[in-house]
Parts: sequence; structure tokens; C-alpha cells
Amino acid sequence: MQFTLVVYGAPHSSEGAATALRFARAALATGHSIYRVFFYADGVHNGSALAAPPQDEQDLLGQWQSLQQSHALDLTVCIAAAQRRGLLSESEANRLEKPSANLADGFTLAGLGQLAEAAAVSDRLISFGG
Amino acid sequence: MTLHIINQSPLGGSALQDCLGSFVEGDALLLIEDAVYAAASPAEHKLPQGQVFALAADAQARGVTLAQAVTGIDETAWVDLCVAHTPIVSWFR
Amino acid sequence: MAKSILALCRHAPYGNALAREGLEAILACAAMDQVPSVLFSGDGVYQLLEQDPVAINEKSLRRNLQALPMFGIEHIHVCRKSADARGIAADTLQLAGAEIVLLADTGPFIRGFDQVLSF
Repeated sequence: MQFTLVVYGAPHSSEGAATALRFARAALATGHSIYRVFFYADGVHNGSALAAPPQDEQDLLGQWQSLQQSHALDLTVCIAAAQRRGLLSESEANRLEKPSANLADGFTLAGLGQLAEAAAVSDRLISFGG
Repeated sequence: MTLHIINQSPLGGSALQDCLGSFVEGDALLLIEDAVYAAASPAEHKLPQGQVFALAADAQARGVTLAQAVTGIDETAWVDLCVAHTPIVSWFR
Repeated sequence: MAKSILALCRHAPYGNALAREGLEAILACAAMDQVPSVLFSGDGVYQLLEQDPVAINEKSLRRNLQALPMFGIEHIHVCRKSADARGIAADTLQLAGAEIVLLADTGPFIRGFDQVLSF
């Protein structure tokens, strides 16, 4: 079965992103697929390459990236929600004349149409609140 | 039949109350994160009879002992619940 | 195969970005021909009240909600219990161009959808 996950919570701020990771791993381990993980509202902060948690705490960014690599996961960050909150790709940073980019490898910025499309084609959509 | 997922503690806001207002017999209720506090005393929080689940890891993390009426599940069983239900509704904050 | 989508709006305007970002997502779905149904429940019913947020430097969310009918969302569902619990006379709720549909029981309504987007 094909799942889409919507993540609303900022990492290391509320539990939602960590819970979404647990769900994602379980779904993939039981033979299901994940069509897309869509990061919205404060959830866009999950895509920040600059997160630097202490070594004795879980590394949520690293966990997303390793899942992305092992399962070719589609990690889509809402571009409008990201811009407001200061999460920019190289091209967006240039276009908006901002001093730096911080979108992590493995994540893609895209519009809300990607959420609509994922809801339309996935078998199940599950939201992880902030 | 709907799978309702709550992540907020029972008195932390209106998530539980709003959810119960939309609960239909035959639906399933899953308590995750801070919502597992409701799993210690389901009667006080007016949880439905039957089809009430809680993430065991979240309860254990908080030192919550699940009441007998609440079924503790792992993440794999959560995925199975999602497969068995549509739609999936998250009630948060 | 296309799925039926419900947008469940449970947050008050201004205090939390989810009210506005929820509306943006609803309009985006509608623009993609995935026109969702919309249900205001809990604090979400506050979105439908008259608003004047100029002094807090915000745009009126209620005014933006008036775009819904232009995107093909002509029925606005409202949980009657939520309105009652907040002292809102549900029968007086209005949105230009839209019909307000009061639901006494939201559970069976929610059950009718494939996907629910919570905002």
C-alpha cells in the first residue's frame, strides 16, 4: 500500500517529526511504500541542513536523509511555508537575494500542488501534528 | 471506518474532546505521544468501549500503565491499523 | 483513481499559522482539480466570525475564506456542537457566495471521505 505522510512539527521542538520517522520505518519494513513525505507549516524546519543537535540526542535530519537514501524517499518541503520561515535552496536564496541557502540534501522544495497530488494518488494519507 | 489519531494530552486542549465528538461506533481510536496519558484512565476521559489503542513505546516513555480496555501496539500494528481503516484523521494541538 | 478529500479546520485564525496555511492548501487542492470538502470544527469555527486584524498587521483570514466559492467550494460545513460550545449562534454564520451547512453529527460525514487533511 502507498502512504503519504504530512509532517507539521518542527524537529526537536515537538514530537511529530520523530513519530513520523518511526511510522515511516515501520511502513517500509512491512513492505509498504511511501509515495511522499510532505513537510508543511513548522514541519519545513526538518529540511534545514544547519540543524546541529548534541551528539547524545537523536539526529532527526540524519535519519530522514538515511531513509531517503535507502528507499529513494520523496521528501518534499512546501516552498511557500519554507520561504516564510527562512528555509531556502541555493536557487531560491539567489533569487530572493538572501545571504545563504540551507535546504538539506535529499529534500526538495515544491508547491502545495504536490500535497494535493499526493492526497489524490496515495492509498492512505496520515498527518503528524506539531 | 475511520481511524482517529490523537497526540495531545487529554486536558491539554480540545483534541480529545473534538475527536470524541466525531467518533462513530466501529471507528478506531489511537492514542500517541502525550495522548497516551488518557490511556491510564479511559473511563474518566470518556473513551469509547473497544477499538482503543495506544502506542506502547509512547506510554512506556511516560511511565503510563495502560488500562485493560486499551490495547498497546507497536509501530507495525499501527501501520496495519492504517491499512484497515479509511480515512485516517489526526487530531492535534 | 481520484480520492475524495476532506479538509478539517480546527484552529483559530492568527494565533496559529495553521488556519491560514490550511486555507492555502485547500485552495491549492482546488486549483489542482482535487476540490476538497471543508469542515470547520473546534476552534476552527472562529475563522468564520467577523474579523478586523489591521491593528495586528495581519490580513483578514475571513476575507480570504471568501475565495472558497470561486474555487468550487460552495458548501462550508460547520460542526454545530463546536459553535454551540463557543457561544456562537451557528444559524447566523455566513460567508459570501457559500452555503453554510451545519452538521449535528460530524462522525458519519467524516467517514465518507478517503483522505482527511487536518489543519
